[in-house]
Amino acid sequence: MNKLLLLFAVSFFGLTGFSQEIIINGNVSSEENEMLPFVSVSVKGENAGVKTDFDGNYSITVKDTADLMLTYYFFGFIKQEILVGAQRTINVVLISETQDMDEVVVVGYGKVRTKELTGATSKVSGEDIEKMNVARMDQALQGQVSGVNISTNSGSPGGSSNIRIRGLSTFGDNDPLILVDGVVYDSEGLNALNPSDIKSINVLKDATAGIYGVRAANGVIIVETKNGKLNSKPKIQYNGYYGIQQTSRRLDLLNAEEYAVIKNEMFAFGGQDMPFNNTNLGVGTNWQDTIFKSAPVQSHNFSMNGGTANTQYSLGLGYFTQDGIVGGDKSHFSRYNARLNLSTDISPKLKLNSVFLYSNELRNTLPESGIGSVLYNTINAFPNAPIITPDGNYSYLDEVSDIINPVAQIENQYNWGWADKFVGKEEFIYSITKNLTFTNRFNYNYAQTKSKVFSPLVWYGDGKFANTALNEDLESPLVEIADSIFLERGAAVYENRSSFIDLTFESYMNYDRVFDSVHRVKATAGVSIFQRKGESLGGTAFNIPNNSLEFADISANQAEGGFLNSVSSYEFKERLLSAFLRAEYGYKSRYLFSGIIRLDGSSKFGGNNRYGLFPTGSGAWLMSEEDFFNIDFINFWKFRASYGVSGNDQIANFAYRALLNGEGVYVFNDIITQGVAIGRPANPDLKWETTRQFNIGMDMTAWKRVDFTTNFFIKNTFDLLFQPDVTAILGSYGPGGYPPIINAGDVSNKGFEFELGFRTLPGKELFASVNLNFTTINNKVTGVPEGVDFVPGAAFSVGGNVATRFEQGYEIGYFIGYEMDGIFQTQEEIDGAAVVQEGAQPGDIRFVDQNGDGVINFNDDSDRSYLGSAIPDFTMGFSFNLKYKGFDLSGNLYAAIGQEVIRNYERQQPYANQLGYVINRWTGEGTSNEHPRLTTGSTRNNVFSSYFVEDGSFVRLRNTQFGYNIPKSVLKKIKVEAIRVYVSANNLFTLTRYQGFDPDVGSAGALSAGVDYGVYPQAKTFIGGLQITF
Amino acid sequence: MKKTILFFGITSMLLLVNSGCDKFLTVDPPYTQDAENFFETPEDFERALTGAYDLLQGSFMSLWIGEIASDNSIAGGESVNDSQGLHQIDEMTHGGVNNDLRSLFRWNYAGLTRANYLLENQDNIDFVGKDVIVGEAKFLRAYYYFELVKFFGDVPLIVDKRIGIEEALTLERTPTSEVYAQIEADLIAASSVLSYTGVVKGHATKGAALSMLGKAYLYQNKFSQAASTFDQVISEGVYSLVSNYEEMFTAANENNLETVFDIQYSGLEGGGYGCLICLEGNAAPGFHGIRQYNGPVYGDGNSYNLPTQALYDAFSSVDPRRDATILDIESFIATQQNPGDISYAIGAGGHSGFYNNKYIKRIGEIGLPDNDLTSPVNYRVIRYSDVLLMAAEAHYQNGNTGLAQQLVNQVRTRVGIQGISLSSVNDIYTERRYELSGEGHRFFDLVRTGQASSFIPGFQTGKHELFPIPQAEIDLTGGNWAQNPGY
Repeated sequence: MNKLLLLFAVSFFGLTGFSQEIIINGNVSSEENEMLPFVSVSVKGENAGVKTDFDGNYSITVKDTADLMLTYYFFGFIKQEILVGAQRTINVVLISETQDMDEVVVVGYGKVRTKELTGATSKVSGEDIEKMNVARMDQALQGQVSGVNISTNSGSPGGSSNIRIRGLSTFGDNDPLILVDGVVYDSEGLNALNPSDIKSINVLKDATAGIYGVRAANGVIIVETKNGKLNSKPKIQYNGYYGIQQTSRRLDLLNAEEYAVIKNEMFAFGGQDMPFNNTNLGVGTNWQDTIFKSAPVQSHNFSMNGGTANTQYSLGLGYFTQDGIVGGDKSHFSRYNARLNLSTDISPKLKLNSVFLYSNELRNTLPESGIGSVLYNTINAFPNAPIITPDGNYSYLDEVSDIINPVAQIENQYNWGWADKFVGKEEFIYSITKNLTFTNRFNYNYAQTKSKVFSPLVWYGDGKFANTALNEDLESPLVEIADSIFLERGAAVYENRSSFIDLTFESYMNYDRVFDSVHRVKATAGVSIFQRKGESLGGTAFNIPNNSLEFADISANQAEGGFLNSVSSYEFKERLLSAFLRAEYGYKSRYLFSGIIRLDGSSKFGGNNRYGLFPTGSGAWLMSEEDFFNIDFINFWKFRASYGVSGNDQIANFAYRALLNGEGVYVFNDIITQGVAIGRPANPDLKWETTRQFNIGMDMTAWKRVDFTTNFFIKNTFDLLFQPDVTAILGSYGPGGYPPIINAGDVSNKGFEFELGFRTLPGKELFASVNLNFTTINNKVTGVPEGVDFVPGAAFSVGGNVATRFEQGYEIGYFIGYEMDGIFQTQEEIDGAAVVQEGAQPGDIRFVDQNGDGVINFNDDSDRSYLGSAIPDFTMGFSFNLKYKGFDLSGNLYAAIGQEVIRNYERQQPYANQLGYVINRWTGEGTSNEHPRLTTGSTRNNVFSSYFVEDGSFVRLRNTQFGYNIPKSVLKKIKVEAIRVYVSANNLFTLTRYQGFDPDVGSAGALSAGVDYGVYPQAKTFIGGLQITF
Repeated sequence: MKKTILFFGITSMLLLVNSGCDKFLTVDPPYTQDAENFFETPEDFERALTGAYDLLQGSFMSLWIGEIASDNSIAGGESVNDSQGLHQIDEMTHGGVNNDLRSLFRWNYAGLTRANYLLENQDNIDFVGKDVIVGEAKFLRAYYYFELVKFFGDVPLIVDKRIGIEEALTLERTPTSEVYAQIEADLIAASSVLSYTGVVKGHATKGAALSMLGKAYLYQNKFSQAASTFDQVISEGVYSLVSNYEEMFTAANENNLETVFDIQYSGLEGGGYGCLICLEGNAAPGFHGIRQYNGPVYGDGNSYNLPTQALYDAFSSVDPRRDATILDIESFIATQQNPGDISYAIGAGGHSGFYNNKYIKRIGEIGLPDNDLTSPVNYRVIRYSDVLLMAAEAHYQNGNTGLAQQLVNQVRTRVGIQGISLSSVNDIYTERRYELSGEGHRFFDLVRTGQASSFIPGFQTGKHELFPIPQAEIDLTGGNWAQNPGY
């Protein structure tokens, strides 16, 4: 109607013969085909003009002059000037200037422009992920965004990391919800995802993740895989690298001579005979040199992207393989990936998005972490023992029953895990009207895993825990299965087949309309139905012929009568039924409000608490859009706030009811007889954890080059899903019994995060960008269940004290023990001390009398105190990127500062080898105030104290890369679009005072984080890479 | 297109409406029974009973503490940090924080809870033989409560029901006398339905129930009831003393005529050090075994619970029970064919040169998969000689010294040594030490006979008679329980 009026008016003026005015129509869109509203369209040199409407259309009336030029400007985009000439319809595509601001991000059942976000999110581009040259997305994410803390469980190939968004909020499952193209993808399965397939990762950190309701409390990570582009020629790319890995650190261990001298002293102090008559043993065996080897890693990826008028496609093929720096191919990971993303307009109104991801992976593992692991054995093996004795056997390391020859151990380990994974979706988007779309999608995530362990008959020496043979001659043990009936128990093989399938059906409507050009209303309503099923079948068979790997399969077993063989299986199913509603209102892109309600029903809970309602509200004010805003150098300034409730239902299935899945087995008539027992007592009132999160933040862009984002949040989690110790009188501590899971305990996380980015404007010869992010989190347990002072966590040493706790007023998993206060130098000092420390002798650690009662009490908590925590005071990521002509240089630095690590890889045993620091032990008055005397006798020096706690702060250069692009002139001749070659290094250096292999000691369990059992260190990798685009 | 929309719309509506939200979300655990709909068949009762028996297998802890706390043995082991709890008990420095005592507390409550679970449902159905199952469940409950009062004194008494967390906070420690009353009632009920013979090996017998009852009386100094109860067992005539004391403790010679009640173990199913109660084998022999031993007769082990020189010296050199009870490792090696080839190691947790020769890892008594950890050797809870000596004690206290002397000498004659004439009840106590050392009775015998302070260094009268209730257990029930005196 307006247009019509305009037309009449213009026609009228035209007829009256004044200088002629013309109307120019058109639309303005972004490169992503998104129509851009509020774009200023004006005659060059004039201030007045029009703006595009919400659909990106404009119509402008101008005087027709020969050199008439129109200017199109929109914040965040490069200004365009177009000579009008004879054109009357001008459609313009604006090129993004700062990228982020107009980028569209997926926020759950919808998309939103970054500019209009009301929640706290962080985005990482696929480029930044791929550049890290690592096997897993989570490893690549470390240090990339604020508010997300990644710690590493193991540096072994295929080893996992922990993603913690805004701190630990429970000691159960702290993993975020990970969605790949909308498909639930659990963090355990991340090995399957090829980082090269990722287009972008968006992390929803605050309560606006609440659209995912009962699973959103730990944050949501939304991964999008690469897709094609409409109307573009196929672009074929190869991206590959080859690298050599080494250990980043070796421990300073005693050599044979030092070992002999120190052990002699230790035994003498303990009043025992000295074990070494001759201490002149030289350097002896360096076990670490034998165990740590250089190992290759390589990756090859092909992709093809493109599109026709109504179809976009992207294909990917990938191969990755990595051997371990410990154990070579016995510690191995390899993966094949195939991917197809297809978007097609079936009709003008119906669009199909189809994603298919396939992966096949193999992982070989060695025993890791703690007693029995290869590195634990390596650290504690005796340097005076040879690797192989003169008679050709591996040495037995006889003196300690639980330390075995690590070289022999690696040789006898045969352990494979395979997985095939099919992940994808079929999504139909139907545009009912211009403003209303209806989306229906089916998601699937199917994984089939297979594993095999071959346990040959081996002999590690007398009395070793890991022996499977009867003796050195590798004879099979004989087992008496009934009176005088003996069976041989030979080499064994264990096999398992499991499959897991997630099916999701989701259906939702999106409404988006602008009223009176200024009121934008968006709404989303939908339902989601989710089911996960899993089943597993495993079996063990004995007497593999010839004790040989060649026959390592259940089919080959020769177990007599099959009597010793065993099988087991399980099956489970879980479901989620949800409805969600989101309403958004925006006034002139200036004031934005959003409200979310999600209703979830979860099969994890019983009838009393099956449904949960999760509301969230958020808003933003774009101050820079106000008419009064006149600070020139600030291009964009937004304030955000959000508050909402989300949940966590990640507990075992059926925890609300008592099942007879305990172990009730007894021996009648010499036969092991299966009975029943309750596994876990029922708790019909069990419900999800509730997280209430408040966030206030700000985004700013200045000088068009500098982006600054900051957030402050308070995240309080209530009704923690707890499996605390309960009183013994409930009777749940029998075999196969567990305490009930209850809702109790509260945790608070408060934090501050900021991200600062700088980039040069496009078009310059030198491109530079620098990004810095900073996160600080204050974690505190604010409530524990009634009657529980604390929940004990990880144990220190073998059979020793509990060293970590969940306790009110402290961080989750903080370290508690005795505080060291130097070394007693003389007997007089002990006798004269104001504090009685039972059994103390000169050279022993002096502990602090925390409660001031004059006695060090070793039987209760009165003298134990806070010794640190694995939670960093702050973490920081820093990256830079420079491009000049054909050259590029980039780096990625990560720092975690202020956390502690427990040194827990030393076997506290007379003959075990020790770290070099014991050379500086106390040997007499004044010799040391840091390291106690060594003795085989009874001391309190090995109780858990600050002596075993070290500063775990570190700064690590995660990746640095130097690349060169072959000049276009050369490329033209060989008909290639681009070639880039690069060299790169991962973990080139780590600055830390920590003595262990790697200060990045993560743990999936919140209460065992920071306890170093001899972690498999991350490799230092030198890489050469090649990228070709056709 | 419209059809597609329609299809999706209808499908989702159908799924929601048809199945119904609740129905969709009610997922039953596959192939597993729920605790609330059990006890439907006689087999259900039998399986629940088996589950209640399972916790008997934690008895090795009772054996260790009964010896280590006494003057019979030291804790031993790899180092003093290895099982600190036992070392503290050895030195009488134990307090409310002690993992071993806590395990014992937990396991016995787990055991009686399983018995209670069955007894709670005993009226569900009727079938022939139910009375025996119920009787055995009561026997087991009595066994677990007896262990608890023996170690801890007053403990909360829970009968025929399971309790929840809320209820647990309201429970008080029940006076020992009331717990004993329940033990007596359960054992009387059990003995009235159980049989002496024809019982599947491993199940409780009438003899076991009565002997346990007699023992419970004896621990309460109810000597006349104890005497008449033991007399009932003796006069039944189903038990006798086996001739070869030295070989009585091997796996091959278990469940013999002298066996009144054994806890059954199998070497076929081991486990890890992390869950000793999950083992189907006996942990004691492996733990008692000679460290890194390489030689004949014995297997290797962890050198726990090592007999003292004093115990060795207490025996008369002609008493064959000395060498059957205590292995003198050096003199044993010296008598072997190639002593030079035999080696063993000494743990830093202590060394006396002696090993517990009754429960020790022997070649051939293999525990799978970790031979150091488990063994098929049964734990002898009550042997007939124990019944005879307890009967002797009861009769002596009742003034029937002649009968007492006859019973004691019956035990002595079996090992081929001369009878004695009783000069005081102490002679019976001493005889108990000779006969039963290494079997976990000594500490409790010393305590109940009031002799502990004169034999155990560091023993404080008025304190160490009872072990402390694990502090954590006091805290977890709301902190209302008073700790045992002195702790």
